[in-house]
Amino acid sequence: MADLGRQRARQGPLNAVPVAIFLLIGFAAPLLGVIIFSFMPERTFSLWQAPGLGNYATIFTGTSYLSLLWSLGLAAVTVCLLAVICYPIAYGLARVFGRWSTLLTLLFTIPLFVSENVRLYGWILFFIKNGVMLGTLKSLFGIEMESWLFTEGMIVLGMVYVYLPFMLFPMTLGVSMVPQETRDAAFDLGASKWQVFREVDLPLAMPGIMIGFLLSFVLAVGALVEAKVLGGQRVIPIVHDIELAFTYAQNWPLGSAMAVLLMVVVATFVLLVLRRFDLDTILGRR
Amino acid sequence: MTTRSPVLELRGITKTFGTFTAVHGIDLTIAEGEFFTIVGPSGSGKTTMLRMLAGLESPSAGDILLRGQRVNDLPANKRPTCMVFQSLALFPHRTVGQNIEFPLKIRDVPAAERKARALQLMAQLRLPESYYGKNVTKCSGGERQRVALARALAYNPDILFFDEPLSAIDYKLRKTLEKELKDIHRETGKTFVYITHSLEEAMVMSDRIGVMRLGHMVQVGTPNEIYTAPNSKFVSEFIGDVNIMPVRLNGGRLVSDELGAEFLPPAVPTGFSNGHLVVRPESLRVLDRRDEAENVLTGTLYNEYALGSRIQYQVRVGERVFIAERLRQQALTGRLDTEVLVGWNARDSILVSD
Amino acid sequence: MNKFGQSRRNFMQQSTAMAAAFAAGGTLGIRSAFADRSKELNILCWEGYNSAQVLDPFRQQTGATVKAESLTNDPTMINRLRAGEINVWDLINVNNPWARKIMWPEKLIKPLDRAKMEPYFEKMLPAFKPPYQWSLDDSGKDLIGMAQRFGPYSFVVNTDKISRASAEDQGWDLWNDDANAGKYGVQESDDWNVFDLCCISGFDPFKEHTDEEVARYTATAKKVFKNAKVVGDLATMNQLLVSGDIDFYLTGGTYSCSPARADGALNIRAITPNKGPLAGGKGGISWIEITSVVNNPDVSPLAEQFLEYVQDPEMSHTVAFAEGTFNPVAQMGNPDCFKLFTAEELDIIQWDSLEEEMARSVEYDIVPDYDRLLDIMTAAKREVSGG
Repeated sequence: MADLGRQRARQGPLNAVPVAIFLLIGFAAPLLGVIIFSFMPERTFSLWQAPGLGNYATIFTGTSYLSLLWSLGLAAVTVCLLAVICYPIAYGLARVFGRWSTLLTLLFTIPLFVSENVRLYGWILFFIKNGVMLGTLKSLFGIEMESWLFTEGMIVLGMVYVYLPFMLFPMTLGVSMVPQETRDAAFDLGASKWQVFREVDLPLAMPGIMIGFLLSFVLAVGALVEAKVLGGQRVIPIVHDIELAFTYAQNWPLGSAMAVLLMVVVATFVLLVLRRFDLDTILGRR
Repeated sequence: MTTRSPVLELRGITKTFGTFTAVHGIDLTIAEGEFFTIVGPSGSGKTTMLRMLAGLESPSAGDILLRGQRVNDLPANKRPTCMVFQSLALFPHRTVGQNIEFPLKIRDVPAAERKARALQLMAQLRLPESYYGKNVTKCSGGERQRVALARALAYNPDILFFDEPLSAIDYKLRKTLEKELKDIHRETGKTFVYITHSLEEAMVMSDRIGVMRLGHMVQVGTPNEIYTAPNSKFVSEFIGDVNIMPVRLNGGRLVSDELGAEFLPPAVPTGFSNGHLVVRPESLRVLDRRDEAENVLTGTLYNEYALGSRIQYQVRVGERVFIAERLRQQALTGRLDTEVLVGWNARDSILVSD
Repeated sequence: MNKFGQSRRNFMQQSTAMAAAFAAGGTLGIRSAFADRSKELNILCWEGYNSAQVLDPFRQQTGATVKAESLTNDPTMINRLRAGEINVWDLINVNNPWARKIMWPEKLIKPLDRAKMEPYFEKMLPAFKPPYQWSLDDSGKDLIGMAQRFGPYSFVVNTDKISRASAEDQGWDLWNDDANAGKYGVQESDDWNVFDLCCISGFDPFKEHTDEEVARYTATAKKVFKNAKVVGDLATMNQLLVSGDIDFYLTGGTYSCSPARADGALNIRAITPNKGPLAGGKGGISWIEITSVVNNPDVSPLAEQFLEYVQDPEMSHTVAFAEGTFNPVAQMGNPDCFKLFTAEELDIIQWDSLEEEMARSVEYDIVPDYDRLLDIMTAAKREVSGG
């Protein structure tokens, strides 16, 4: 029996080897490549040159850091708007709509099956001059308006639209984790509706809300198509800059440095948040 | 008790959900300082009833009067009442102290004052002072029970409602907590309205009991009245082990067609023609001689159950099973599967319609 | 570098190649390094060559597994070869200067059988008569690729808003006129936008630039992007032209506006300026695609066969009107091929003015200080976003 146990203990790591190799090749190796590239001299295609911090300096002496700020700013605005928009919907899905919730959830899910590009071009057709909105306003009410396309607001609209499910579903899960009796108890103990929200709903739904925040923020920082399609490149987010560096500019080291910087900034943010709101304790509290 | 003034009056309270009527026109008056228990099986409408009293549901018809004031439209957070929930509904993200202080914090009571009150309540409920900073999820079932009660008391309500808070607790602890709760009732002098599906629990604690069935309040009375004079087969059965047989009245005597026997009746309610005769196990004795009781049946001793001071016997008369008792000192030995006599005196039986 | 360092370097290159092959494995299926490649062909190309209309008949003829991936800029495709995918691809289809000036010197492509392949140029339009410079290496000895699609590529206007004649007259100055602020878009083809910004600044892009020229270029870049209503892909540009959101867009030609013209919007037209700062006072720039055989150590024998296959008149017509964009092809010099084009198709590719527009255009070339100019342009785009 002891032998068998020891054998099993030896087999465990052995069985993990294929997965470990797969992860190493598929995940760690490219990542390592990008990190090494970020320290190479600019516009080289070789990984074996004297390393330096030149690319990182370029980001801050040039204008690339603006792209990073735009990405972080747009993501922050998007996440805040999503929080405000999604909470009432999540509350409704978890508590009010009853059996209609399934149908509504489905409606919120279906767009995920359509390519993001197609959906965003749909918005173009909606907002374009003589398109669905402006065309209708013109023909029905004789109102002529300038198109809203290619503005910063339009980018935020696109991002809110695209990342809504990633905030909504974790948040709905969080809201549905709040026991109704606990809410009733707080209300019965004299709390106003707002106090019930602040003292019970919010803290108890926090795991879901935090997951929604992190998920949508990380995705939104990496948003590209919204600025390209709906923003008409009025704003260059960091991911677009990275893409340009790897394509037209043929400057892999600079692109890698921007990618590494983005990863570091996002990872730092996520770790800070996770330290402040320890998901394990919140989730494992029951 | 009758001299006490009413604190809560219900007038024709009705609650419907769609086409389903959960509570049918209930009239009830609960007196100041009373421990009133509503008993009923699940689905009897007792929880709905309590939620209406607490202000978490509003009645579809009828009025709720609190000290004479109509409070139908007063939401729960504005009522001087407080509820201890079945799940206890403690705040899992808060400590014991924060839970107890919650209603005080809501009223902007200063922190020092809050803490003093919380510690005072904890002492009253035998919660160690060291528990003040303890996470409530780390407490045992009984401790959480006390935290929930302390939190409700911190609200300082006129009336405390309890929604089966002891139902998930094991028997021994439940028995202790039942008594503790009754002690707290005495200490605080507040009105307690308690609901449970266990009439036994209700008997231990209550001044008065209301039995609910299918949304109706079928009987209201003191534990003694409910026990000795149930007004229906439903109520009599609800109390626990009981011997019930269908009977009809024939010329001053009761006839059991099933057993082919005639009995001397107890006091016959006016207008009674047929119904059920109820005999409690402690009133149904296994007899040594036929003349030891007014009504006697002959059956077979099928099984025996030792209950400590008493022994219960299962006696079969034809198809019907009777439960009879004897004191332990008078235990029968070696009589299984033999013929025995069981009997009762007419005054120890009750007649109920249907 | 010492021997050890050298071998480490080789190891890294091989690893990168393996990683790339692994990444490509998703679309191409993982194959062993020495697999039989006689029934397999992988093409890296601009869209069109990857369409079923073009590939299916070849698949049927040869019974081969043909896979094609389309990209929409040259540098990315060449990067893929540099990153180690030279072991993956058999054919690469990019614009003219890249084959001769970049891929050939870097040994990313290999020579074709000149005796067999060059005669095809005889049947092409007169401009492609052999020896055709972009199909040959600098020494003129090796045939390095075959020509097919081409076209002028300067800008596109809505002729309802600006007549063809005035657009051709005004030329690049359209973008120097502040009255046009907010009336135009810029297509996101950044390499070509660099050329166009040079033209707008009034100098030839395809040469080394003085600091004074770079300063002018910087000012132009800022102005052009500040005044642009939108930057986007060609579909968006065409749509906005049709809807009236914009009146013209930078960097465009028959390639980019043909989808709109095919949809019946014949008022959307590619324009080549009458005159400009380009060599010989020419006003526009044109491109010619060159398809080359990749210097794959295990190249498919079908690679050259495919190049012959698309020379066929019918297949040439199919390539010209494959899905996506529609373009003239060099093979229209062959009457057997030309007769396959309907009047409507000729109208879509602006055949009426094609010859004169090509005559007014210089051929796409390498910009010596492209990196510097591109960085300036990217920075200008970022600054416009307000940062």
